Amino acid sequence: MNASDRRVREAFVALADRLVTDFDVLDFLELLAKRCVELLEVDAAGLLLADHRGTLKLVAASTEQGRVLELFQLQNREGPCLDCYRVGRAVHAGDLAAATDRWPQFAAAARAAGFGSAHALPMRLRDGLIGGLNLFDSQPGELEQEAIDLGQALADVATIGIMHERTVRDRDLVFGQLQTALNQRVVLDQAKGVLAEHIGTSVDDAHARLRAYARRTGRNLGELASEVVHGSADLAEIGGR
Amino acid sequence: MDQDRVVRAWALITEHAQREGVSASLRHVCTACARAVAATGAGLSITRGSGRHDPVVATDDNSAELAELQFTLGEGPSADAMSGAEPVLAADLSAPASRCRWPMFAPAATRRGVLAMFSFPLALGAVRVGVLDLYRDRAGGLAGEELADALVFADAALLLVLDDRGGITGAYPDLVDGGFDEWRAEVHQAAGMVSVQLGLGVEEALVRLRAYAYARDRRLVEVARDVLGRRLRFDGGGAGNPPAEGNRPNGEEPRR
Repeated sequence: MNASDRRVREAFVALADRLVTDFDVLDFLELLAKRCVELLEVDAAGLLLADHRGTLKLVAASTEQGRVLELFQLQNREGPCLDCYRVGRAVHAGDLAAATDRWPQFAAAARAAGFGSAHALPMRLRDGLIGGLNLFDSQPGELEQEAIDLGQALADVATIGIMHERTVRDRDLVFGQLQTALNQRVVLDQAKGVLAEHIGTSVDDAHARLRAYARRTGRNLGELASEVVHGSADLAEIGGR
Repeated sequence: MDQDRVVRAWALITEHAQREGVSASLRHVCTACARAVAATGAGLSITRGSGRHDPVVATDDNSAELAELQFTLGEGPSADAMSGAEPVLAADLSAPASRCRWPMFAPAATRRGVLAMFSFPLALGAVRVGVLDLYRDRAGGLAGEELADALVFADAALLLVLDDRGGITGAYPDLVDGGFDEWRAEVHQAAGMVSVQLGLGVEEALVRLRAYAYARDRRLVEVARDVLGRRLRFDGGGAGNPPAEGNRPNGEEPRR
């Protein structure tokens, strides 16, 4: 086993660990997005889930940079993740400079944000799709088959994490869990705003502080966010790293 | 993208409203939704602070009575949907599982000929304004398409409740980039910030943000970005920023 294999194994063990102990879907997906960046050697990763309106919603990203987050959002109009969700297959754009006909707005925005290539892998559930894993790299180039396979495995882990594998046979439960995951993300955004205003910082910094506090104290990020919004959390303590 | 579903739902709602020559209201959402998902009845309960939620509209007497009953008993799919963030789908109220979960309500509903009930929270993150209830005289779950439609109608009801609280009437929401601004991350973040500025909950903050955008004919997401960029505050303070006007409860144009 080489160093790379070991990192992959460790990542999956860490993810599996998160799945069995006091499960926190937001924290889990953020960790997964970060692992994608490390293991697939790309510069940014994001997980997008389709809601009932058919809109792709970003639920977790490896970065908090507004410019990159905009790129994920833009894909409700055009881009690899939207195409991937539509056709149900991986979509690769090894050279964004050559993709301006395909996605005029997206390709321009991605290049302006410093990216040379973009990829999207489907998040499948049985015959259906629940969203996609979106990858960006500053360099143009195709992903190697090994990286694609590993990326798909990580996308599948994300699906399992959202769906709590044992319930995937019950459609209504799957539906409920998707709703919960999407709504928790909204609560987290509201909590970021509350904390940012309370301690006078940016929402990105507030997000980092919330996450760090949850990790430090072993708290569930979703529950913590809910307490922040409802005013029952100690904002001063969460705000001071 | 599935904007068609949203467009279709709003077209149905406005169609019902226009037939009566009035602006779209919660009653029209119920009527349109019941028809779209083949429900025998529909109703809406609205939260009135401190966790209470009162039935406000129903398409028929039976639905109104069942809503009232749940309110009195404090149990049922609607009550459960209110306390959680997930829809509660009771495909068979005569089944043992339903009777076990709602020992008083389930038998009462089946006696009235309601065999299935589906409750959708009007929720946006921590914001909870009420529940949309759908009733059917036959057992069986909602089909996938019906489920997706019901959620879109629940979204519409949520917007109308917020409109009502902000004193906005007859505003047809703009579809932008595959969704409404109300569901964008910047708006949630700004609502969190404004709630601290005002010392109120996120729901009231969202109401104020929407009323502010509406009164100035601006997009909600642009107003949200001004809040995030600290160019706009809602507490009248801030470094050199003009004090933001809150909405007037009766919906008149804020004075500047």
